[in-house]
Amino acid sequence: MKTKKRYQLYAYSIFLIVVSSCVKSDDYNVPITEVVAPDIDPNEVIEISALRDLLEQEQTTTENPDAILTLENTEKYITGYVISSDEGGNFFEELIIQNKASNPTAGVKILIDVNPLFTTFEFGRKVYVKLDGLTVGINSGVLTLGIRAGNNVEKIAESTLFDFLIRDVDVALIEPLPITISDFTDLKTNLYIHLEDVQFNRYDALGNNRKTFAAEPTDLFDGERTLESCINGATTIFSTSTFADFKAVLLPDGRGSLDGILTYNFFGDALNVAVNDPSTIYFENEDRCDPSEIDCGLASSTGNNVLFTDFFETQSPGDPISGNGWTNYMEAGSEQWEAFTSTGSSPSLGISARMQAFNSGDDSNIAWLITPQIDFDTQDGETLNFKTSNSFADGSILEIYFSNDWDGNPDNIPSSTWNLLSAAYITQDSDPFGSWFPSGNVSLECISGSGYIALKYIGSGEAEFDGTYEFDEIVINSN
Amino acid sequence: MKHFIFIGFVIFLGEISSFAQDITLKGRVVETNSNEPIPDVEINIKASIFNTETNALGEFHFLQDNLPQGQQILIVSKTGYITLKLPIIIQNEVSINLDPILMEIDLSEVEQQIGIISLSDNELEDDAGITFNISGLLQASDDVFLNAAAYDFSTTFFNPRGFDNANGKILINGIEMNKQFDGRPQWADWGGLNDLQRNQEFSMGLQPNDYTFGDVAGTTNIIMRASQYRKGGRISYASSNRSYRGRVMGSYSSGLLKSGWAYSVLLSRRYGDGGFQEGTLYDANSFFASAEKRLNDKHSINFTAFYTPNRRGKSTAITDEVKDLKGIDYNPNWGYQAGEIRNSRIKEVKEPVFMVNHYWQLNEKTSLNTNFGYQFGKIGNTRIDNGGTRLVEVDGQQIYIGGARNPAPNYYQKLPSYFLRFENLTAYDYQLAYLAEQKFINDGQLDWDALYEANRIARSTGGNSIYAIQEDRTDDTQISANSILNSRISEHFTLNANVSYRNLNSENYAVVSDLLGGTGYLDIDYFAEGANNTVIGEVAQSDLRNKNRIVTEGERYKYNYELTANVASGFVQGQFKYSTLDLYVAAMASQTSYQRNGLFENGNYPGALSFGESEKLSFKNYGAKAGILYKITGRHLIDFNAGYFTKAPSLRNSFSNARQNNAVVIGLEDEKIKNVDLSYIFRSSLLKARLTGYYSTIENQTEINFFFTESAQGFEDGNAFVQEVVNGINTRKVGAELGVEAQVTPTIKLKAVAAFGQNVYTNNPNHYLTSDDFEILTFGNGTTKIKDYHVAGGPERAYQLGFEYRDPTFWWMGVTANYFSNAYVDLSTLRRSDAFSFDADGQLFNDYDPEIAKELLRQEEFDDYILINVVGGKSWKVKKYFFGFFATVSNVLDQQYKTGGFEDSRLADYRTVQEEQNRAKPIFGNRYFFGYGTTYYVNVYVRF
Repeated sequence: MKTKKRYQLYAYSIFLIVVSSCVKSDDYNVPITEVVAPDIDPNEVIEISALRDLLEQEQTTTENPDAILTLENTEKYITGYVISSDEGGNFFEELIIQNKASNPTAGVKILIDVNPLFTTFEFGRKVYVKLDGLTVGINSGVLTLGIRAGNNVEKIAESTLFDFLIRDVDVALIEPLPITISDFTDLKTNLYIHLEDVQFNRYDALGNNRKTFAAEPTDLFDGERTLESCINGATTIFSTSTFADFKAVLLPDGRGSLDGILTYNFFGDALNVAVNDPSTIYFENEDRCDPSEIDCGLASSTGNNVLFTDFFETQSPGDPISGNGWTNYMEAGSEQWEAFTSTGSSPSLGISARMQAFNSGDDSNIAWLITPQIDFDTQDGETLNFKTSNSFADGSILEIYFSNDWDGNPDNIPSSTWNLLSAAYITQDSDPFGSWFPSGNVSLECISGSGYIALKYIGSGEAEFDGTYEFDEIVINSN
Repeated sequence: MKHFIFIGFVIFLGEISSFAQDITLKGRVVETNSNEPIPDVEINIKASIFNTETNALGEFHFLQDNLPQGQQILIVSKTGYITLKLPIIIQNEVSINLDPILMEIDLSEVEQQIGIISLSDNELEDDAGITFNISGLLQASDDVFLNAAAYDFSTTFFNPRGFDNANGKILINGIEMNKQFDGRPQWADWGGLNDLQRNQEFSMGLQPNDYTFGDVAGTTNIIMRASQYRKGGRISYASSNRSYRGRVMGSYSSGLLKSGWAYSVLLSRRYGDGGFQEGTLYDANSFFASAEKRLNDKHSINFTAFYTPNRRGKSTAITDEVKDLKGIDYNPNWGYQAGEIRNSRIKEVKEPVFMVNHYWQLNEKTSLNTNFGYQFGKIGNTRIDNGGTRLVEVDGQQIYIGGARNPAPNYYQKLPSYFLRFENLTAYDYQLAYLAEQKFINDGQLDWDALYEANRIARSTGGNSIYAIQEDRTDDTQISANSILNSRISEHFTLNANVSYRNLNSENYAVVSDLLGGTGYLDIDYFAEGANNTVIGEVAQSDLRNKNRIVTEGERYKYNYELTANVASGFVQGQFKYSTLDLYVAAMASQTSYQRNGLFENGNYPGALSFGESEKLSFKNYGAKAGILYKITGRHLIDFNAGYFTKAPSLRNSFSNARQNNAVVIGLEDEKIKNVDLSYIFRSSLLKARLTGYYSTIENQTEINFFFTESAQGFEDGNAFVQEVVNGINTRKVGAELGVEAQVTPTIKLKAVAAFGQNVYTNNPNHYLTSDDFEILTFGNGTTKIKDYHVAGGPERAYQLGFEYRDPTFWWMGVTANYFSNAYVDLSTLRRSDAFSFDADGQLFNDYDPEIAKELLRQEEFDDYILINVVGGKSWKVKKYFFGFFATVSNVLDQQYKTGGFEDSRLADYRTVQEEQNRAKPIFGNRYFFGYGTTYYVNVYVRF
């Protein structure tokens, strides 16, 4: 009897234990997080280019080129495909979308105070952006959407992110837009582009000081490297954030194609190419397109014998450089080296030579200025001196070469072997525009035989490549 | 030293036989209702020094031949029973046999005990992090002061004399249960066994203990032996809103059966989806079984096993900013998944314990108790790993892209303070701050769906999991053996001795416990930097022997190493008892050795730096203590104790960066502990009182902290994840304790308790940082200036006034009012080093103002507070069943208070700390643990 009661009690207690004590176990099902297609009326969707038009209208009517525009009561959306990714840390709290998955024509950057974004807005994801409440402006040079903060466009707050950005189910395969560096324009920014046959400049990618993407001591916020075209020699800046996961990786030293995003640098004054991560740099060809170089270094003294000189004082300002043995040749475009004189903020040295693609209207400008033939065997201690100056050189390039196989026929200039005289200093875009910079006392002693020294200008009518170079006071001496 | 102890054994054993005497007074104590023998009943001859205890059969006998003659009072007492006062007449050569003495269960006493023990186990398992509650150690005491400390003060982490539980010893059946890793008991290993843990012997401070040398905070031996349990069973149900919501427990003990067998079993379950803090799930089962066979008069063998697997959802310390927005019950660790609360930080403990105990009564006076213990299992702590990446190869170079920000809802970049961190704030900043605040208030929990979505996206593009659940594991296997000798060599002299050995093998590693919908996780260190000519593809490796491994659920990753520890120790103690004087003297010696064995070759520490066996550390320790209890009269006593001993550093504090390498703490030494205390004790039928003054010092303590800081001055921009080693820390604890209890009427009792202490650092200990970004970084003279700062760890001062009413009809209630003050925040030692005042060039900041610095480095003292607790209960006896309930309401006034807190070392230099101080709300403010608001606990039970 007693035992029976006891067992009853135990049975009851076990019942209690079993029944009263459910705690969630640690086995969890994977929740379904798939995106659901939004219900947005196609009539409410406007083109990204229309957004730019709205902004430009505002800038025109307010006569303020820096004006920004807050969108209200438009009940409009824009739509596009995500082309930036912060997975590699190269983009931070911004999302770049372009209007089409292939052959895009417009893109916009959206500033968002969220990190990471790739875990929600992956590459290729179609998104709608609700415009009301957002502000459009030009931020760091590119069309940008965000929140108004005074006269600036700032990041959308995390808690309102999904009020403005609506994901669609579509994740498209993005076809990069084929383009050449010379074709870079404002309107191509915020697009996912494909560059064929490019390489990092030899000073960045070769030698003992081969650079990392962005981990050099001089890299402050972005590591800027020179990317050059093997097709036409055009260059642009390849930019990587110092917060990128791949900042400490050495630049690929081959040549090939690259997919990335065309954008501007932080200051909005130079076009940049940036990648989401380095896996879209396909530099598999080890055979680089560097010009061959002749580098005899700098000479410690200058001989008294003058082999060739020209201070251009006999030229007529406004006319092409001519006479004195010069060959003035336009390989591409409609601009050539001409004489000029100026006493303004960017003065000439009396009369000087100048080349500029500014307002040329040309897709490409390549202009040569070549000395008469010089014999390097009949004397010793040859040296070269000259001065250069630039005004807004931007992406245009001036280089100085030597050739001993050119036959003097202008038509054969492009097909001849031109060796870069790398010891000579030529002014850079970063130099002050009013000053003249001496080349240094460039030794030519290691050259034998006879040949020509040539200046080569590369640019285009595009604002980013239409720089001006001035050249003067060339003297070739020997002992 | 070990040899010495063995010799000691032999000598004393040889002398034992010469003390045999005729028994003049003996008896047997049984329970009134059941007629079951009651063990461990205290038998005293009133106003004399003579006392003894009953054995497992309820029998006792006095061996002495000089018992006081004539009419005497025999006091028969045991907690939970009504004390008996039996008049007897003792005449030499006339044997008295009192058989049976009937003892009746004191319902109210039992009631209170149930309640109290149940009450405190809530707090015991709290792994809050900085304070280590000692109350579990004190439960067995009947001292007024210690009772207050154990029950009413424990909710606020008050530690008597400033010692935490690493300074106390917990034994079960004579086997030490403190973990070698950190010296602390792992309470969860025996949680939920309350009903069978009532037999506890406690020695306060360094007072003599029959089993071990002990430690300064005291020693408790819990007896969990089948024959020691009273016959009967109990079923109880408890409910609370503190940690678990419900507890059911059933136990049954056979008592000693005629066959010589005794057995005891217990089953219990504690559960809840959340306690006072949201999302703190509680899922614990407890199993206990013990069987004992009394082979003959001399030998008993006991087997005890318990297994208490438990899972708990953790909460965390929060800043004032977070508390103001979300309240003291806020817990950022959880979020909803499919409508259910899921906590990302789960602690799971599964460490079954097996014991075999042999009790050998060599003769009337001498017993030898030999114990073997075996424990294995796991302790796991989960958290979200947000560093998932994928491998990208560029031009033959390997890099890792991906990783995500910490998804915690209270991450500093999500809080309003972060948006208001600038000096010149714009409307936009205020807007962001407001939006962040609203989001935090309205949501503020973990977004599990976002983590799964991130992994789904990564998976759809062929990537690895960005997020995963990482479980940090410690899998211990421990073998313990000891032999404890107890010999009452003469009526005046008792000898105790033990030898013991323990071996620990501890495997420590991280394991992927949930890929959150992903297919794999790339096992590299996302935070590794390819600086200083290192190759990221190498340094980022967790294991160079297995590069770029994709791990799946259940696989070890990140770190993997073993620790082994061997400890051999011995102890001898002599206790002398005279009519006016008790004396004891004890000595101990031990040998401890530690070794790490790296199973992964870490990319930052190639070769033997991380892989294979470390240097073997060896520590020889010794100690001595002595004490005297001088009985001026039966009412006035003076107690004095003094001790000095050294202690091997814990395993945790021996290796500076065990997860990554084999490095040993530089300048690692034994701790040196000195303690003296002096008490005045007053005892009368009306009043019991104790006043104690104590003074103790600990030298050469070591502390290792792990954190990310922006103030590693002198290393690049100062940003690094570091291990901070502070060693040679000296502390001093000095103060007084008072406990007074007055039995005003037979039903009303008043209590007054006070603790008044000061716990401070007494030197500027050595200080250095290590990191995988640099080797060793020291600042200035390589010390941290913490002299005279307070050691954090609960309030230094506590006061209690209490009232208790016990109705003769078996109901009772009590009220206590408790006042606490002088609690301090835990210091950032980096802020007190020269990293604070020196710029990166090792020179003083050029804008350094010592007056401002002093203000910035002031140690925060928490506000004083009052906690009022009410307890009560009632019991009934129906036929053979006892029914009862017990209820308590704690913190009746719903006082908000901080139980602890710590400074953040992320910003630790003059400029950044000042910048922080100037902000309306700091970004990296001190983080606090908050005490519970008003909570209840009820327990109903039936006993048979």
